[in-house]
Amino acid sequence: MSVENLAISFGSNQVLKSVNLELHAGETLGVIGPNGAGKTVMLNIMTGILKPDGGRLVFLGRDILKEGVVERVRMGLGRTFQIPRSFRNMTAYENSLVGAVFGSGLTERAAGARARDILDMIGLSGKKLEPAGKLGLLDRKRLEIGVALATGPRALLLDEAAGGLTESEVAEILGIVRKVKESGVGVIWIEHVLQTMLHGTDRVMLLAEGRDVICGRPRDVMSSREVEEAYLGAGVGARTRRKRA
Amino acid sequence: MGARTSGIRQIGGAPGPRGGWAARKPLVLAAAVVVLALLPLYASDYGISVGILIFLYMSLGQMWNLLAGYSGLVSLGQQAFVGIGGYTLAMVTQAYHMSIALSFFIAAGVSLAFALVISFPIFKMSGVYFTVGTWIVSEALLVFFRNWAFVKYDAGYNITVAYRISMPALYLGALAVGLGATALVYFILRSRMGLALMAIRDDESAAEARGVRLYRTKLACFLISSVYTGITGVVLYLNITYVKPGAAFGIDWTVCMVFIVVIGGLGTIEGPVIGAVIYVILRQYTYNFPGISMIMLGVAAVAIIMLAPEGIMGAVHGRFGFRLFSTERRPPPGTGPRQYPEDAADV
Repeated sequence: MSVENLAISFGSNQVLKSVNLELHAGETLGVIGPNGAGKTVMLNIMTGILKPDGGRLVFLGRDILKEGVVERVRMGLGRTFQIPRSFRNMTAYENSLVGAVFGSGLTERAAGARARDILDMIGLSGKKLEPAGKLGLLDRKRLEIGVALATGPRALLLDEAAGGLTESEVAEILGIVRKVKESGVGVIWIEHVLQTMLHGTDRVMLLAEGRDVICGRPRDVMSSREVEEAYLGAGVGARTRRKRA
Repeated sequence: MGARTSGIRQIGGAPGPRGGWAARKPLVLAAAVVVLALLPLYASDYGISVGILIFLYMSLGQMWNLLAGYSGLVSLGQQAFVGIGGYTLAMVTQAYHMSIALSFFIAAGVSLAFALVISFPIFKMSGVYFTVGTWIVSEALLVFFRNWAFVKYDAGYNITVAYRISMPALYLGALAVGLGATALVYFILRSRMGLALMAIRDDESAAEARGVRLYRTKLACFLISSVYTGITGVVLYLNITYVKPGAAFGIDWTVCMVFIVVIGGLGTIEGPVIGAVIYVILRQYTYNFPGISMIMLGVAAVAIIMLAPEGIMGAVHGRFGFRLFSTERRPPPGTGPRQYPEDAADV
């Protein structure tokens, strides 16, 4: 998958000016950036919820920006939401089943086995008959990933999948994402939790002021001048660097 | 030892209270249907007429619930299809002297055609605009019928063929329509479309992000609901025996549907059943208080909503976990956890 010169404005506010990225099969690309940098907006464009002003989104060899939300899901573009949006009156199994039936176009019988196996994989098999609305945050985060996986994605877009979790809970999410990556699925992971970016990604990209500023190995990017400036401002960033020197 | 015995029982799958109820439920439901079908043999004429109203309102409630409770389409225009049903019956039997049975087919066809035509403009709206749009369409239909020579303007029709139908026969017709609506909603919810509807009910845009086609699912729901409301309108007017635009296309019909579904439980199959029973009984009681009957109904509705914001069946389910018509899916028996790549391979 590749994104080229993606741009979008809301009125006079140009949220994305020119974003470029590439994602390979079995790779996890972390995306960081200060609040309001446009990370979620970028995911919403990629999944078809928002229409960009310009740019290209090439997935499996073709530009899919004109495709609708459902078509993109069925092509293999799965996503999670920042705040888990499980179907609260449906059980964990039924949530997973929705993804398997409608995302991958399987019959309900065939989808049932996949939905069950996904729950096993994300560690929710013991709670498969519990209503999603009654699950705790970690389980809802797991389920959110599970439902996206049930759609049979080739690229998975995670929007703060570890946000609000404790360190040990984050480790569980990391474990799930690793399994996904090992299966050959490409992952774009927007996150503020440093641990996930350092230990759960192959590359990290900084998104700031509507542009992809820097992209590279997680440790290099996290310690870069660009990241300091994006988060602390240019002046503070320079002072911090001088102090360190 | 005791604990071990208890463990063996569970593993052995001996039916617990829930399993026992699940096994007996079809028999209990079948017995209830038989008791209801035989009601004309042991009930007074008044009891039968109350039964007719309960089943007809149950049908209207089920169809409105299918729209508002599951697909998020809050329509204030379903009275259009009640009116279409009533007028189809009047025209087919009075103007063209054809059979009542034919009225059902024609009412279904006209309702389907009308629903399809209006779906193009009103499905471009969403939320409150959709609600107002459906209301405007039905009001426009009312004005049209009042000015249409073919249906004798505002004069209306006496549906004289209805006089030949005995009360027990009419009761059985209403029973079939009411239970048929409940069964239809149940089977829809058990189907693939039902899975989509339940997802839409809980979170529409999340459902779309999982691959649910919103427009197609909602349109199918709207068409089914409209056709069945039209058919219910035929039976309703066999009971009322006089059709006139103001009453046939009046918003009172939809207000009843909303009342029934909200107090019974929005988005539950049992809600319209219990809601229809309460509504019809309350209406019978409040007839004794002309002038303030609607105020009394409103107060009753507010009281029920304050005590049970999710409706009576919503409260019962929340407190006891009880559902008469469960649409819950169960996972197929598994062979233990498998690796994700195996799952992903066939995508």
